[in-house]
Amino acid sequence: MKQVLLCGAMIVTLSMGIRHGFGLWLQPITMDRGWTRETFAFALAIQNLSWGIAGPFAGMLADRYGAFRVLIVGSLFYAGGLVLMALATSGLAFTGSAGLVLGLAQSGTTYAVVYGVIGRNVAPEKRSWAMGVAAAAGSFGQFLMVPVENWLIGSFGWQNALFLLGCLALAIVPLAFGLKEPAATKATGFQQSIGSALREALSYPSFLLLMAGYFVCGFQVVFIGVHMPSYLKDHGLTPNVATTALALIGLFNVVGTYVAGSLGERMPKKYILSTIYALRAVVIVVFISVPLTPMSVYVFASTMGVLWLSTVPPTNAVIAQIFGVQYMSMLGGFVFLSHQVGSFLGVWLGGRLYDATGSYDVVWWIAAGLGVFAAIVNLPVREAAITRVAQRAA
Amino acid sequence: MKLRRIAAWSAATLVLLLVFAAYLQPEVAFTLANQLWNCF
Repeated sequence: MKQVLLCGAMIVTLSMGIRHGFGLWLQPITMDRGWTRETFAFALAIQNLSWGIAGPFAGMLADRYGAFRVLIVGSLFYAGGLVLMALATSGLAFTGSAGLVLGLAQSGTTYAVVYGVIGRNVAPEKRSWAMGVAAAAGSFGQFLMVPVENWLIGSFGWQNALFLLGCLALAIVPLAFGLKEPAATKATGFQQSIGSALREALSYPSFLLLMAGYFVCGFQVVFIGVHMPSYLKDHGLTPNVATTALALIGLFNVVGTYVAGSLGERMPKKYILSTIYALRAVVIVVFISVPLTPMSVYVFASTMGVLWLSTVPPTNAVIAQIFGVQYMSMLGGFVFLSHQVGSFLGVWLGGRLYDATGSYDVVWWIAAGLGVFAAIVNLPVREAAITRVAQRAA
Repeated sequence: MKLRRIAAWSAATLVLLLVFAAYLQPEVAFTLANQLWNCF
């Protein structure tokens, strides 16, 4: 168990961390290549979409052929995508490398694929905690890599920094062997086809409720992440306040993901999820209702940081609890697709409604309302293992 | 065992605080303040 957890945590630290600082390349690349910001932003939007869309397929392959194979291919895609991103001289090539290739790489090296192995190799009573550890590692990667990548760009130039990150992404290859599962691990217990597992999950109300909750998670997190700096600037706060807020979110996100995973050992995960979404709604309403000061921003960033990715361990642990672990990566990929659709809408609607109304007020209220919605829809989730006809007959 | 656990938690806290301090370095803060929205 230790080896799976350690290697899984390190893989997620790298895969989540490397991508998190991509925004730092915007200015050097667009200036050097003479591109517009839209070219860069479009590639990152494609990256997020392809990550989400490829997620279920990467999960399917990981469940069928072994996560370590998918991780190795994902790592090669990651390294190749970073090198091609550095060498791209046209907008199309940049979209293909930084967008499509890196999106595919992330689908093969992040939570869903790693969680499948953790699910199959950690005892059910320790599963939520183990997922919390892996999620905290991913959060730490995000927190760590922004200043590291900033230092790499400053010290070696933007192009060499991408080459160095490509080398770093290759470190996933040896780590993937730590997640190599013996065939016996996968062959035990009730066997089900991929199609049957998918039909079963998509027709099971609790799975759809979890997907709805994760959609809200994506909407809120990415709306706040992308639009909050502009919101603070509109209200006359200095850029340093926004930077400190980012650091506080990153710091408390590590704590929140670990705590949420640990709590999953002791109480029903649906209550943890419901509480997280309800607290998000309360925190957002309080934040937009009180006068905006640096202190109110720091309190908001710290509390939202605790709630940031803390939905990841309980959501995935419930999936394993209900459906078992045979197709956990695939099912995790499906709920993550819902998360990414929410992310896309959070970014897009944030900008669209700002342009239409001249403020972010409406979107803040939508984010709070969605938090209440997610808190409610998680309550009826049935966490008990699903009873299958074939199992009953056996 | 308890001592090892305390040491591990202390080390983790120290690393987190060091990374947090890195964000507050003036040159990092300046870059991030300019490009903050792109970091998500």
